[in-house]
Amino acid sequence: MDMTYIQGILMLAGINLIAVLGLCLLTGFTGLFSFGHAGFMAIGAYIGALMTVPPSTMPGSIGGLGLPFIFGILAGGAAAGIVSWFIGRITLNLKGDYFCIATLGFGEATRLILNNVQTFGGARGWPGVPQYSTVLTVFVVDVIAVLFLANLVKSRHGRNMIAVREEELAAQIAGVDVFRYKMIALIVSAVYAGVAGVLFGHYMTFIQPKMFSMTKSTELTIIVIFGGLGSISGSVLGALVLTALPELLRAFDIWRLVFYGAAVIVIMISRPKGLMGGMELSPAGIRKIRAERRARLALKEEAAREAASGGRS
Amino acid sequence: MNQLLQQLVNGLSIGSVYALMAVGYSLVYSIMNFSNFAHGGVIMLGAYFGFFGLTLLKLPFAAAFILASVGTAVLATLIERVAYKPLRDRKAPFLYFIISAMGASILLENVVIATIGPTFRTYPEIFAREPIALGSLAIGRLDLIMFFVSAFCLACLILFIDKTRIGKAIQASAYNMKACALMGVNTDLVVLIVFALGGFLAGIAGVFFGMKYTVYPQIGNITTKSFIAAVFGGLGSLPGAVIGSVLLGVIETLVAGYLSSQFRDLIAFVILIGVLIVRPTGIMGKTAEDKA
Amino acid sequence: MSVDILEIKGLTKRFGGLAAVNDVSFSVREGGISGLIGPNGAGKTTIFNLITGVYKVTSGEVAFAGKRIENLEPYKIADLGVTRTFQNIRLFKNLSVFDNVLTACHMSAKYTIPEAILRLPRFRREEKLLADKARGLLEIMGLADRMDVQANNLPYGLQRRLEIVRALALDPKLLLLDEPAAGMNPDETEQLMRLIMDIRDRFTLSVLVIEHHMDLVMGICEHIVVLNFGQKLAEGTPDEVSVDPKVMEAYLGSSGGTAC
Repeated sequence: MDMTYIQGILMLAGINLIAVLGLCLLTGFTGLFSFGHAGFMAIGAYIGALMTVPPSTMPGSIGGLGLPFIFGILAGGAAAGIVSWFIGRITLNLKGDYFCIATLGFGEATRLILNNVQTFGGARGWPGVPQYSTVLTVFVVDVIAVLFLANLVKSRHGRNMIAVREEELAAQIAGVDVFRYKMIALIVSAVYAGVAGVLFGHYMTFIQPKMFSMTKSTELTIIVIFGGLGSISGSVLGALVLTALPELLRAFDIWRLVFYGAAVIVIMISRPKGLMGGMELSPAGIRKIRAERRARLALKEEAAREAASGGRS
Repeated sequence: MNQLLQQLVNGLSIGSVYALMAVGYSLVYSIMNFSNFAHGGVIMLGAYFGFFGLTLLKLPFAAAFILASVGTAVLATLIERVAYKPLRDRKAPFLYFIISAMGASILLENVVIATIGPTFRTYPEIFAREPIALGSLAIGRLDLIMFFVSAFCLACLILFIDKTRIGKAIQASAYNMKACALMGVNTDLVVLIVFALGGFLAGIAGVFFGMKYTVYPQIGNITTKSFIAAVFGGLGSLPGAVIGSVLLGVIETLVAGYLSSQFRDLIAFVILIGVLIVRPTGIMGKTAEDKA
Repeated sequence: MSVDILEIKGLTKRFGGLAAVNDVSFSVREGGISGLIGPNGAGKTTIFNLITGVYKVTSGEVAFAGKRIENLEPYKIADLGVTRTFQNIRLFKNLSVFDNVLTACHMSAKYTIPEAILRLPRFRREEKLLADKARGLLEIMGLADRMDVQANNLPYGLQRRLEIVRALALDPKLLLLDEPAAGMNPDETEQLMRLIMDIRDRFTLSVLVIEHHMDLVMGICEHIVVLNFGQKLAEGTPDEVSVDPKVMEAYLGSSGGTAC
């Protein structure tokens, strides 16, 4: 295996990770499931490309504004965020899996619209996106994404989102504006997905609506669940493992997705908490796990003592 | 005027096949409260079962038909046992069911790709191609048969749910599964029967779909539209699923006929989002306030 | 002079054709402990849901501290200082005892999301205050030694207590308790009674409690409202209510035995 191959896998994993981190906030911390985040990636990828692709010189080629990469990243993330606000306005009041269904509809509608918009190449796609994504840019964005997310979930705002996931009614009664926090989680996750889309487009140098199908959305959600709901380190591990694994399994090409599907079912029925299940691989996270275990043991001992003394009296 | 009538007839025919699939989604939703995304995979395999029944086993049409629908009924119950029962036993939240269903759908699609191959296959011609002239209308023989068989199956299903003891048990379970279990209803069996019923109809729909278009592993993606029809009509409601399907079929053909066939797929998702905004519970769905 | 902190006038809630609560009026005195009693299905919890905004009111008025609140969102009502516990405990089950209370303290901090993700000074300062507040509350309420336990691993009685602590974290002026003594033995009920009175004095708030344990209601409530079939049957002091013939009939006549 040569370096470029490994580099390619790492970049893909790093790009997936950004989108997965966004979903981690939405799904893992706020408890909303989406099957349409590939739609936000698509918006990011197309708007990002529009910013950076050089202006068209010959007829037939699709031109952009020719701006530096950073504008592409910012515009792609912002565009996805704005769209998600509109989507959130109309769908976040829906209950349970109706929200899932609405996001599914949004994702597919986005893809079909792009298929029909000939300005961006329609279903044939848009070639000639500059190759701006490097290992370094992806890595830097990953680090920023992880830090921001970790700080957010450890704040009162993050705790409010977790409260929404745990018990929506109780959260409301505790003064949490449930709609607002769902909206924030949705927008943050969409911005993350949009940025991932920009980096993806500038890595592939070619974008096509087909790349952002429901399968892509499902893949992102599966990574979040595989890593463990409510765990950022789980999402990081999940993105690495589940992006690299299928690539490394290329030898078994046609069977790898069979294994993948089977693995998803097995995870759901046997280890639904995922790899990390709400725990974090950080000093504070480990302290918390140990404190929790100590407290549980103390509780058990106390119960045993009480039972013993109760038996005597 | 004539063209409109023609479009309506075509829409009705495709809508009736959607209905066969949509009731599968709705039946499962009514008792288990989750969207069974593996249903598309079951329909796809129904199309393959029918195809191989006709070509490989050289079965007569009716026999291939029965083979396909019995095969998918078994497959659907198998999926329930493997992918959902452990979750049911654990009382897992509905999201785990959806993910498990997604896994099953990926599994089915790729098993087919790995074993049968990704190529498109065309059903042998069963019904003569030339349409039946009805006044100034030209109605495809296949369309006609699709419509009548689907309508017949749906009528049987509704009678079954309405009149039989098992049907009553299904209705009761849809209303309150826990209470039913306490009353001595074997809810495990009810769930299996529901999956078998949905699977059976999925097989029929799969064969029709394969005959009308072609057979290929991603056929399940198209069946997403029947899911939309179920949402349109109100998830969990059988009449809703049928009405939603027929409406979707008609609207789709009208859009394809009068606007552009490009928008044919898009319109389904636009309807989906529109319905969710205006009336999330669909045409026939119940609206209820959550009890605290 | 006593002031009414909660005033309910002509409160009605219909589900379809059925009136779960029909033209009910009563008030809760500031600093008092009031009781809401009645047979099962009398509409007690529905009234709680209407006060806290979980259900939309069909008609009638709910005024808290002189301000109409009947069509506000639940979180705004909580913001104003009305909070509650639930009949079927609703804790943030997978969080630790400490995090349950810390989450509910959120309104004591004002830092914004950008301040949080950049860890600016106000974020750090206020986070420390929140943690101190949560710890303080848990100490007062005797849960400090169980701070790290996951909420759903707590024994049942302590879960009820934690739910009360979480409510107190909002600095409420009116606390609604929905059957706080459900499933408790006489000993625990006794403890709970002392706890409720203690809370009222220590946090200077008013309490409205739904309860079936008559010992508790008669023991701590200064004012009792009796409901039956969604309508107010009687109200008054415990002594007045316990001799009211209509109340006796409702309890002994139609669903005899609940009043014990």
